[in-house]
Amino acid sequence: MGIAFDSAPDRPEHIEAILNGLDRYNPETTTIFQDYVTQQCEDRTYDCYANLALLKLYQFNPHLTRDEPVTNILVKALTLARLNARLERCAYRDFWDLLDSDDLYADLVADVNGFEELMRVRIAVTVGQGCRAVERPVAEGWLNLRGQDFEAFVREICGWGVDDGGGGGGGRVVVPVNKENEAKGTVVREEVRFEQFGRVVRRAYEQPA
Amino acid sequence: MALYQRAPYETANRQDLVEDESDREEEALVEDYKEQVHFDDGMSELDRTASFGGAAAGGGPQDMQAQLAAAATPLEYGAALDTKFASYDNYCNLFHYILNSEGPVDLEVPTYYWAWDVIDEFIYQFESFCRYRNRIARTESTSEEAQLLRDNPNTWGCYSVLNVLYSLIQRSQINEQLDAMKRNEDPNQVAGEYGNRPLYRMLGYFSIIGLLRVHCLLGDFSLALKTLDDIELNKKAMFARVMAAHFTTYYYVGFSYMMMRRYADAIRMFSHILVYVSRTKNFQKNAQYDSVSKKNDQMYGLIAICVAFNPTKLDDTIHTALREKYGDQLVRLQRGGPEALPLFEDLFRSACPKFISPTPPDFDTPDLNVDPVDHHCKIFMEEVKNTMWSPTVKSYLKLYTTMDLKKLAGFLDVEPEKLRSWLLVNKQRSRQVRWSEGALLDGEVVNGSDLDYAMQDDLIHISEAKVGRRLVDWYLRNLARTY
Repeated sequence: MGIAFDSAPDRPEHIEAILNGLDRYNPETTTIFQDYVTQQCEDRTYDCYANLALLKLYQFNPHLTRDEPVTNILVKALTLARLNARLERCAYRDFWDLLDSDDLYADLVADVNGFEELMRVRIAVTVGQGCRAVERPVAEGWLNLRGQDFEAFVREICGWGVDDGGGGGGGRVVVPVNKENEAKGTVVREEVRFEQFGRVVRRAYEQPA
Repeated sequence: MALYQRAPYETANRQDLVEDESDREEEALVEDYKEQVHFDDGMSELDRTASFGGAAAGGGPQDMQAQLAAAATPLEYGAALDTKFASYDNYCNLFHYILNSEGPVDLEVPTYYWAWDVIDEFIYQFESFCRYRNRIARTESTSEEAQLLRDNPNTWGCYSVLNVLYSLIQRSQINEQLDAMKRNEDPNQVAGEYGNRPLYRMLGYFSIIGLLRVHCLLGDFSLALKTLDDIELNKKAMFARVMAAHFTTYYYVGFSYMMMRRYADAIRMFSHILVYVSRTKNFQKNAQYDSVSKKNDQMYGLIAICVAFNPTKLDDTIHTALREKYGDQLVRLQRGGPEALPLFEDLFRSACPKFISPTPPDFDTPDLNVDPVDHHCKIFMEEVKNTMWSPTVKSYLKLYTTMDLKKLAGFLDVEPEKLRSWLLVNKQRSRQVRWSEGALLDGEVVNGSDLDYAMQDDLIHISEAKVGRRLVDWYLRNLARTY
């Protein structure tokens, strides 16, 4: 958490050099950035700062714009408008329904290696922050996985438990307690610093009026 | 100077933060401003002598003086297109002369504020030209003016403007200088032959702030904030010497934070500068104050939006002013729901910067040209819609320590699935990146809300952060009375 948006651990040096200089506005660097986007799609890395620089080049030089990198960047950044709106609303079931509704979406995300899994991980992070336990059907809907696939993802990737509910109901997913989902009440206590007493102390040294 | 150093905020205690800042800095602010006004008087006298000297020396310097003065002067309202083109050429000539002469040039600048004024006016003309061009393309794409604009796509082009700003920054080595200052080293060591001169140093410095503004106008808020990496926002900063620069910086930084959903940081920025203005307005006697006053109102609008998203206890001065200006509206914003949507939109439109598009519009298909303000407003409103139920949900949750999700869904008259989503949205939004030290983009993820909860199946566990009694202030105030 709290990682600066402009840092990317896997950023190659030549990209770093372009980003830090005026070449980031140079239309000739467009192809370099494009290749870099392709590479990110393949090896599941993400460099927001570099991708924004490419989008800016496109914005300034509309004639250079190519749909494919743009789509890939947007898919990577989850800003395909309609899909993103559903994610933002945490309407995960709707998100998957929309994604599956049209081959168009499948085409759009095709270049991004492991798109669905990356989405699931992202959704799981949010769910893990907000929940301690989720009924299995609800969680299945959110992650768009059923049966063994579901159990494997929840246990292995998320590290959560699956409780089969004694065979009666649908069972539930148990999320171990973490800092975000414990929801512990706190009392904010007043913090007193010595400087606040500066005037009083100064006064003590002054002559009585 | 220790007065100005900001206490670390790692406690994430908002009340503390606002009160401290205003208390400790109050007197210092006023003193600083008195000094500035005084300082200004001194400078203008100097200027007068300088320009007499210039006149005596003959025609050349006088022409230059006229050109320098013109560069810092606003165009007439509704100036003709020719004038706008000519003004662009003037700027190009002037900056070309400053940047590309052999070695640094010697210029007698008309006023102390000149460097700020010239950058400010340059960007203002760029901004208004872009908006004007966009409007012509949308509404009168067949007019004579449209043709002229179509034939000159590079006049007031985004590339040229950025080029000027970046070049001034590079020539003056200002980022290197600021970096050295941060490390308590001598900036002159790294300034180079250009950066050693006040003219270049000031132009470079204010170009950084100009760049912040241009990136913000283009909607690139993170890059806008990154531009200020080497500037420390405190009273020692050079921009604090020029009121309008001080003000502009905080407006754009605050706005960028707001658009990045870092409301606590946005509120901190707006509060700081609004307190500053309210404390110094009695000394404001010049024309600068007029331009400040409009932005001042805009910032009250923005702070109202931020507080609605992120309930915060504000500085008393600001709270009172906000209630006077918005009163009833503020309550409605904070209540949320669909009724608040038009209010959010109106407020946003009146308070946002005048966004621009970096490329010339499409004169052949006027309908394709979207007003950039509409575009950004739409993005902003998506977020408002997305979170508009949060206040209602929170108001219910506050009443319980545990609550059944289906029961709450019944109270709110929505599907349980939808409520589950709302709860997750609200939970995510309560986690915000908040600055504590370092560059503007740095920060930690903290819980900005006094309410927290977690779902266990359909049972919602709710907890509240209570603020303990605050005694020190009260104690000190009463003690002071006995002096």
